[in-house]
Amino acid sequence: MQDQEIIRSHVLVIGSGGAGVRAAIEASNAGTCVLISKTIVGKGGCTIMAEGGYNAVMSEADTISDHYADTMKGGAYLNDPELVRVLTEEAPARMNDLISWGGVFDITDTCTICQRPFGGQCFPRTCYAGDRTGHEIMATLMEQLSNSNVRIFHEISAFDLIVSQGRIVGAFGLDRKGKMYTFLADATVLASGGGTRVYDISTNSSGGNGDGYAMGWRAGAELIDMEQVQFHPTGAVYPWDARGRLVTEAVRGEGGVLKNSNGERFMSRYDPDRMELSTRDVVARACATEIQEGRGTIHGGVWLDVSHLPAKRIEERLPVMLEQFLKYGVDIRTQPMEVGPTAHHIMGGLRITPFCQTTLPGLFACGEVTGGVHGANRLGGNALADTQVFGRRAGAFAGSEPAREIQFPEDQADSAKKMLEKFLAGDASPGTVKREIQRIMWDGAGIFRSKSTLEETRAALDALSKKNLKADSPSGFNECCTVRNMIDTARLIVTGAFLRDESRGAHVRTDIVQDWDAQVSPFGHTILTRTGATIERRKS
Amino acid sequence: MQISVTISRFNPDTDTSPRMEPWNVQVEDGARVLNVLERIHDMDPTLLFRSSCRAGQCGSCAVKMNGEPVLACTEEALDGMVIEPLDLPVIGDLMVDLVPGINDIPRIHPSECGTNPTQEDVLRIKPLRDCIECLSCVSVCPAMKVTEFLGPTSMRSQMRIALDPREPGNRIREALEQGLFTCTSCNRCWRVCPKNIETPGKAIEKLREIANREGLTLPRHQEVAELVRTTGRSVESGKHVFLDLVDEVIEPFGDVKREVGFFVGCMFNARLPERAMDMLEVMRHAGIRVIIPKDQVCCGSPLIRTGQTSIINALMEKNIRVFQDRGITTVMTMCAGCGATLKNDYETPFEVKDVSEILTETGLPPLKLLQTTATYHDPCHLMNGQQITKQPREILVQAVERFIEMPAMCCGSGGGVRSGLPDEAAALGEMRRTAIRKTGADVVVTICPFCEYHIQEHSDKPVKNLMTILVEALGEKPTELS
Ligand SMILES: Cc1cc2nc3c(=O)[nH]c(=O)nc-3n(C[C@H](O)[C@H](O)[C@H](O)COP(=O)(O)OP(=O)(O)OC[C@H]3O[C@@H](n4cnc5c(N)ncnc54)[C@H](O)[C@@H]3O)c2cc1C
Ligand code: SF4
Ligand code: SF4
Repeated sequence: MQDQEIIRSHVLVIGSGGAGVRAAIEASNAGTCVLISKTIVGKGGCTIMAEGGYNAVMSEADTISDHYADTMKGGAYLNDPELVRVLTEEAPARMNDLISWGGVFDITDTCTICQRPFGGQCFPRTCYAGDRTGHEIMATLMEQLSNSNVRIFHEISAFDLIVSQGRIVGAFGLDRKGKMYTFLADATVLASGGGTRVYDISTNSSGGNGDGYAMGWRAGAELIDMEQVQFHPTGAVYPWDARGRLVTEAVRGEGGVLKNSNGERFMSRYDPDRMELSTRDVVARACATEIQEGRGTIHGGVWLDVSHLPAKRIEERLPVMLEQFLKYGVDIRTQPMEVGPTAHHIMGGLRITPFCQTTLPGLFACGEVTGGVHGANRLGGNALADTQVFGRRAGAFAGSEPAREIQFPEDQADSAKKMLEKFLAGDASPGTVKREIQRIMWDGAGIFRSKSTLEETRAALDALSKKNLKADSPSGFNECCTVRNMIDTARLIVTGAFLRDESRGAHVRTDIVQDWDAQVSPFGHTILTRTGATIERRKS
Repeated sequence: MQISVTISRFNPDTDTSPRMEPWNVQVEDGARVLNVLERIHDMDPTLLFRSSCRAGQCGSCAVKMNGEPVLACTEEALDGMVIEPLDLPVIGDLMVDLVPGINDIPRIHPSECGTNPTQEDVLRIKPLRDCIECLSCVSVCPAMKVTEFLGPTSMRSQMRIALDPREPGNRIREALEQGLFTCTSCNRCWRVCPKNIETPGKAIEKLREIANREGLTLPRHQEVAELVRTTGRSVESGKHVFLDLVDEVIEPFGDVKREVGFFVGCMFNARLPERAMDMLEVMRHAGIRVIIPKDQVCCGSPLIRTGQTSIINALMEKNIRVFQDRGITTVMTMCAGCGATLKNDYETPFEVKDVSEILTETGLPPLKLLQTTATYHDPCHLMNGQQITKQPREILVQAVERFIEMPAMCCGSGGGVRSGLPDEAAALGEMRRTAIRKTGADVVVTICPFCEYHIQEHSDKPVKNLMTILVEALGEKPTELS
């Protein structure tokens, strides 16, 4: 084992997506702040890939209470109402922060911000910068970060949180070469993003493996609603290696229509009122059903078409989509896109208070790693708002934690080192195990689930978890840790799916017949902790 | 499908130089470069490269494929491809150190007294905002190789800041210190940019315009502008002036296969008229009628590149009129800089073509192979400005016995650098000397008069215009004016 380094700060932020960078900027007002990221800071995660937009009430004609109601309804009333209230109330101010920091969003000729319609919303509420909104947000945040005194560690992955007397006091990290770092802090902010890479077909970046859920769970935090995985209705299906890549909802927002191989606009059978702009869970199931019932395309998708729109509009509003499809030989100005469902977003995650406190003292969390904001189904555009609203809160409240004495955690550091060294003696290729997880999760815990598929998936994951992952050298530790986290995250999803004996939002149990609507469901959150798992029962 | 690929491997702890490693891998149809790297990584987990978003949005995965920077996640894999790291400090294998370059990029400092951008501002800023900080442009920029220039994407950012009313005032002096005038206008950065950001035209020249308004244009550049203002020409007349030597219409020897108007440009007109005379000789043999309006003036390139644009419109109008009045539908350029300017900066009612395009389209007259080994220097304004690389080679291989490739790189003469910053131009010229020596060629062939003139000062071998070579291959003597 090589020498290790100890880095002490007031606040430690793990993850440099929209939530993490926003948190670090805020926390740096209160004292020293360290930001670590698996990738070069600002390049990792899903924020930078976000295309469609950011929901906020920016117009006199729109109201916060409508945004609240749309979000609760879209989330099948599984959302934590207090978190939704905070999200909808603060989203406009956080958008204004971005604008005051130099964000370049599309604006109208009267200098108000442009907003487009997105699924499940009664008002065109989604602010955007073409179809590279997340990239614009990250570019703006990185400019602001460079004006702050946050200390940045690029390409360091956290692999476990450090617990001392029931409190989180930092995290252990690894650099590319497998050198171990100990980050100690009065308060730690987990902002490591989502994890739908546990599925074979996913929109997420290479880093979306669920590290944060797994680290939080192992450290003893409470997670909620991990079964709620959003399958986005429109991901690429061809070529093979591009499968899953997101085709933004903005395509439908701008007027794109979905058709099956018979040329039918099939959404009229699933949601005749909202059609293509229904909520994602509904559209994804509609696409999956069309494909399953044999009305799909050769590559196993459905058609998504914007060729009836003026070419200029496509060039202006959907430039990234145009460019991406052209790279694959499809000109969306004249040809339809072939699309199918893809694992997109985990609505569940670490339980937080409106102050972003997790159930573990010293640990704060924000962004996709948290649960409760989006309930059982996230509205397009709400996640980017989530990163800014709760990113700021996490940074501010973590920053306000008092300074403390922290002892170097000898014992935990030793066991962490032992765990890593064991990988050197392992025999299972992490790459193979990873692909296995992705396949079994897609097959058994995907859009449609039943008790029996979940049982098979659980057994298969249990078997995988017994394998001894192998690293040829310390530089392979990272990959082993990632796969270990993927197994934990996958099991959390499956456990939640087992516990939730109902279909709700994105979670569909084909083996259960129910006679209630989401609003009067007898169930609340699924709650997953290291010591046990349960589902809340609502009082009727 | 099966793909063979060669990967550059390098471990700075143990290796002194990179080694090329061949691989054969099985990939799916339509696989990208990244998918190939991942397959190799499955077999050899020590292979170092980066990727994150896999959708061309994070700028982590740029590598060189067959010498050209590409994003590994979006570029289709080709059988036989060679994958190398970008020309930046290598951490290992295909992974380069991006952080210092990213940290260099100037960032906006919005101020309380700024105002929010208007729709018009946003429309102007947006094209400069797509940058994913992949540093492909930085890895190819010639000016950065020989000066302290902060680089294309930094200038892109400076222009975005200049356009943004949230940071009032401007930082033009900062941009000058960062090397605004060291850019040679080679346009290489634009061509390698995965987001197609036209940094030279949309940022650097625009910043130079701001510098001009603040009286910060280099004195030598001001002299050139003065010359154009008073004479209509950017080069002082020498002993012979092309336009005074020739008739307005030059008829070919046989049937007229085609008719073109000729835009001569200041360099060929006043400094190297012999080359333009050689071209006319080739045209006579090729069956092409050439019409030469005598009232044409400077295309304005030396002014546009240096940000002195106040009289540009007058030049453009005049040049367009002289060809339009004669009913000319195809204007031929021979100077790469004029060609790029007419194609990219003008809106012409006629088509503009380089002489090499005209000749490959119409066909060459019968030639006799010259007993020599030639290499070819790609003029930046032809290669990057007009994306012409094939045609000159096609012509050259029909005229010489042996042709040897030389990696393309700016010679240093463009963008006002030769006149304004002669040391930089000389340093880049010397790099060409080394490259030329490496080829072992007897003669360096090019088309651009600026390149020819400049490289000749930095080459042990003769530098010849492609038209001169053709005259020789026709069995004739190149033009000499005493
Ligand atoms: C393709 C795509 C398009 C989307 N479009 C939209 C949209 O238009 N509107 C919308 O509202 N939402 C959209 N979303 C969802 C939204 O982008 C994400 O939910 C949100 O950006 C998550 O932000 P985050 O900061 O929590 O995490 P991320 O942005 O994912 O960042 C996570 C960060 O944590 C780092 N990290 C991960 N693990 C570790 C570790 N172990 N140690 C250290 N660092 C670690 C990563 O490197 C990364 O920097 C989209 C998602 C995807 C995938
Ligand atoms: S045009 Fe050439 S010299 Fe100028 S910034 Fe671009 S690459 Fe560098
Ligand atoms: S300007 Fe283009 S090439 Fe340069 S860093 Fe930005 S995206 Fe990359």
